[in-house]
Amino acid sequence: MLFQSIIIGLVAVFMVLDSRMLGRLNFERPLITCTIVGILLGDVKTGLLVGAQMEMVTLGMMSIGASGIDMNLGAIVGCALVITTGSDIETALAIATPMTLLDQLLTTVADVIRLQLTHMIDTYVEKGEYKKAQRVHIVYGPLVYSVFKFVPVFFAVYFGRGLIESIINTVPAFVINGVGLGANLISFFGFAMLLSTMINKKNAIYFFLGFVIAAYSGFSLTAIAVISIVIAVLLYTLKYGDGNQLAVAGAGAEEYDELEDDLDD
Amino acid sequence: MSKKGLEAQRNYPLNKKVKEFFWGGWCMQSLWNYERQMNTAYMWGISKTLDRLYPEPEEDEKKKEAYRRSLEFFNITPQFGAFVLGLGAAMEEEYAENPDTFDPKMINSVKVALMGPLSGVGDSLFQGTIRVIAMSIGISLAQQGSILGPILAMLISFGVSFPITWFGAKIGYLKGQEYLAKISNSNLMDKIMFGCSVAGLMVIGGMVACLVPITTPLAFGESLQVQAILDSILPQAIPLALTGIMFFLVKKGVKPMYVILGCFAVGVVLNYFGILAV
Repeated sequence: MLFQSIIIGLVAVFMVLDSRMLGRLNFERPLITCTIVGILLGDVKTGLLVGAQMEMVTLGMMSIGASGIDMNLGAIVGCALVITTGSDIETALAIATPMTLLDQLLTTVADVIRLQLTHMIDTYVEKGEYKKAQRVHIVYGPLVYSVFKFVPVFFAVYFGRGLIESIINTVPAFVINGVGLGANLISFFGFAMLLSTMINKKNAIYFFLGFVIAAYSGFSLTAIAVISIVIAVLLYTLKYGDGNQLAVAGAGAEEYDELEDDLDD
Repeated sequence: MSKKGLEAQRNYPLNKKVKEFFWGGWCMQSLWNYERQMNTAYMWGISKTLDRLYPEPEEDEKKKEAYRRSLEFFNITPQFGAFVLGLGAAMEEEYAENPDTFDPKMINSVKVALMGPLSGVGDSLFQGTIRVIAMSIGISLAQQGSILGPILAMLISFGVSFPITWFGAKIGYLKGQEYLAKISNSNLMDKIMFGCSVAGLMVIGGMVACLVPITTPLAFGESLQVQAILDSILPQAIPLALTGIMFFLVKKGVKPMYVILGCFAVGVVLNYFGILAV
């Protein structure tokens, strides 16, 4: 159990460093991290299913800058505990939710520490100790992030198992099923959050286009993704014409508006 | 005066310089802070350039000034951060060459001018479109138990992020000024946003229809099955309606945590009375 807790904690370190040192390659997302947890705990299938479920629920949750919410840490703990306790896949989200609250709390503490580190850099620069200033950014910064993700995940995985097992044994089945339905409902909140960042009156039709194609045809989402890229390129070409659109800046602006009106009709 | 440093910077291999901006970009959030956000990352990304430009001890004041300049407020999508670092380094070189004619204030005003548009496009490109497409493909494969799902999702993300960061850094350093005019004068940003929003929104529409098959077990007698009627008119009408309700809550600005906890409560109730089911 100790060993398991440590490696799952390290998955959390990998998760946070994705956005800190790899420019956010989406390796932090539940789909990826839960699969890794599944591989490490010897249950790839459950890892994949929990990953897909958690990813779906949280897809709309973006953490841009300071605002927003993500359940990346919670998903790792949820997946690990689902595998070690043999619970339902939906239980992962029920575990991830309180973990997310704890994570947000700890993040606030880490924010204060990093602010101090920033001032440390200012001081080093004033003293002309540039190497030290550089080191604070590239070593201490990621270190603070890592510690604040490793510690809660380690303890949650280490002590969580017994707690989860006793909860599942005492809570009636209809509540557990209801939590499963609730977990799926949250997915729609995610979709809506995602929508709200992109949609406006003019482009709402593309959302409905994607929905209608998928609903009536029964195509898989992969097919919809490919179709959407094709349509995006097609509409872009129709709207902005071909050739050197980079060069014709001001002169072409009116022309584009005309074309845009045509499309609206 | 600082010709020696300038020479060292000019003779330093191009790809090694680009590599510095590349990692500077990817490490953009290593020390994110509430005061000046990604300022230390910009400093780190350009620090090697500054170290080369001002090697002599008597140039320390200039160097310190450049470091201070690099620690101003900064925020950008990491992948595009490499472009700004490249451009910033080119401008620092120019300033080192012509300290009398080049106004160093321009470096930060260019940084500030690029932050808004590049972050706007960057977030909708990487978070809104690439991530959504990569993950929706990944989810649908993973749901079938295929490990190809997460692998493909990783490959798509990496395959877009890596070249944009690398060539962004290179273009920023070599031709940054030229592109600067294009970014601020043309409606290039609007165009990219348009393409992103079409593809992104369509995939979200597809997700609503494909990913969460919520149905209603409600029936009034043998002949009146609510779900069968819905399916004959508009399949997946319930997921669409749920998205609409949630969209309303998002627009109202309800806190995510309240909605998440509320969903659990509502889920238990609806499940108990047999109104909705997965």
